[in-house]
Amino acid sequence: MKSLTTNYYETGSIILFGIGFTMLLLHNNIIKKIIGMNIMDTAIFLFFIAKGYVHGKDAPIIRGTAAGYIDPVPSALMLTGIVVAVSVTAFLLALTVRLYKAYGTVELDEIMKMRGD
Amino acid sequence: MNVIRSSPLVIILLLFITAFCMPIIKNNKRVKVLSGTSLGLSFILSIINFINVLNNGGFSYRIGHYDSPWGISFYIGNVEAIMCVVFTLVALLVMVYSYMTIEKEIGKKRVNLYYTLVNLLVGSLLGIVFTNDLFNGFVFLEVSTLAGCGIIVIKDEKENIKATLKYLVLSSLGSGLVLMGIAFIYPVSGYLDMDFIGKSIQSLEGANRNLIVISASLFTIGLGVKSAMFPLHVWLPDAHSSAPSPSSAILSALVLKPPVLFLIKILYKVYKIEVLREMGILNILLVLGSIGMIAGSIFAINQKEVKRVIAYSSVAQMGYVFYGIGLGSKLGVIMAIFHMIGHSLTKSALFLIGGSMIKKTGSKYVKDLKGIGREMPITLGLFTLCALSMVGIPILPGFISKWKLAIATIESGKIYLMGVILLSSLLNVAYYFPIVINGFFGHENLEGKTYMSKELRKPKIIPIGILVICVILTGVFSIQIIDFIGQGF
Repeated sequence: MKSLTTNYYETGSIILFGIGFTMLLLHNNIIKKIIGMNIMDTAIFLFFIAKGYVHGKDAPIIRGTAAGYIDPVPSALMLTGIVVAVSVTAFLLALTVRLYKAYGTVELDEIMKMRGD
Repeated sequence: MNVIRSSPLVIILLLFITAFCMPIIKNNKRVKVLSGTSLGLSFILSIINFINVLNNGGFSYRIGHYDSPWGISFYIGNVEAIMCVVFTLVALLVMVYSYMTIEKEIGKKRVNLYYTLVNLLVGSLLGIVFTNDLFNGFVFLEVSTLAGCGIIVIKDEKENIKATLKYLVLSSLGSGLVLMGIAFIYPVSGYLDMDFIGKSIQSLEGANRNLIVISASLFTIGLGVKSAMFPLHVWLPDAHSSAPSPSSAILSALVLKPPVLFLIKILYKVYKIEVLREMGILNILLVLGSIGMIAGSIFAINQKEVKRVIAYSSVAQMGYVFYGIGLGSKLGVIMAIFHMIGHSLTKSALFLIGGSMIKKTGSKYVKDLKGIGREMPITLGLFTLCALSMVGIPILPGFISKWKLAIATIESGKIYLMGVILLSSLLNVAYYFPIVINGFFGHENLEGKTYMSKELRKPKIIPIGILVICVILTGVFSIQIIDFIGQGF
């Protein structure tokens, strides 16, 4: 229990990851699925950046006064990760618009019922 | 010497740069020439790279001349070199076929976008094959997913949009898991380069050991979604059967393979075999692979559409690949890689033939293909050869991989699993042979059909023919290929 409260960043991000994951898997509404995917990705970003952060150290901009710097690699990676997540979200939303035009609904179970025609 | 060593990077850059030139060209003929030239050049370069690796052995290539833990590096060993040749060859031949049919399938307006996406896709897949850096692999994986979705939805029909959405949702789930896997492995190792992670996690003990297990399972599930591991294959049949047939060929032959190769690299370079045995991940892969081999075939038997039969067969064939990895022996992994090569060539030919048969008969159902052997004898003959390879008739690569997988099974002492291989082969017969037999034989089937009336024109037959010849050559030179792959380990 104590390790959960001391590592509250990690705990929080794993809880968020679980929420996003279940939303992505279990919801029928595509918009909610996309929101779930975004929550999941954000949870990963939080986890990754929390892992790179060192308490009490400076941002990795060298000025000659700081005692030490945090690890810059996770921040750089997550910048790329955000770009990837944004492009996937944009593509998903564009597809949702077309799906709505084709089927008239964004509920997946209703779309699956229409398979017959 | 250095120039030749740069060829893998040059291939990827060439494909990406030409990809982004295509949308601004309005003339479809020029787009096709550009696409053909870029893919042809990359095939020649990959042959040069292959010869270099054959003579001098594998090498790692620093991008931007930064040394490994700081910069991104490629590793081009035997496996990577031969995979690169296969991928560029299949992409080139499928695209040559598509130049004649694509306008009828997707309309004139989107042709330049289609070839943009194909070049992006092939480039990013080769990137996954070559890369030695986890995060670099993840980015290439995402590029390939988006480009792969693009070449499905380019047809813009109801079915395609639904299938793409399903594929993209499940894929983003998979990539989320892969990224989480990287997030678990980076803090304990401090590196992203696979060799360095491998070195630094060997000395970990205690609670950190759990982190390794978590990250390994996240990678396995995440990459399993992308490469249609059995319970996670639900996106595959819709996506592969609704896409235009050149796209289905590319998706089934190429897009499924690099994630598995990436998984093999992660498992064997990062975690090493001792840790894997300890964790039991290999056993899970073995079980899922076995179930996939049988379940994929059973699903395929129940399908009514030709393309869905072939798509479900992909699930079964990927089952063989995971089975090979799961055996945990050197021979098992080599045969998994060999099976990927054989499957790439065979499945692309099958999808092209299936697509052309659907177009000529005007029906996508298996029952309407009766008697097609009289109308399209050469095409169905090629189909039969590929089906024989899938079933496992000697000389053809399907047989070699099944034979050697059986040997690997016996070597690892799991003889009861032989039944799975045999059963799966028999099931393969059950869904490929009805198409062939009803096509060639039976009086009522052949009645009223004119000989050669619907046969494909020569330019369309040639790329499919070359693919089938490559299938046979893979079988004939299987010993050399297996040796060559084996040296890479």
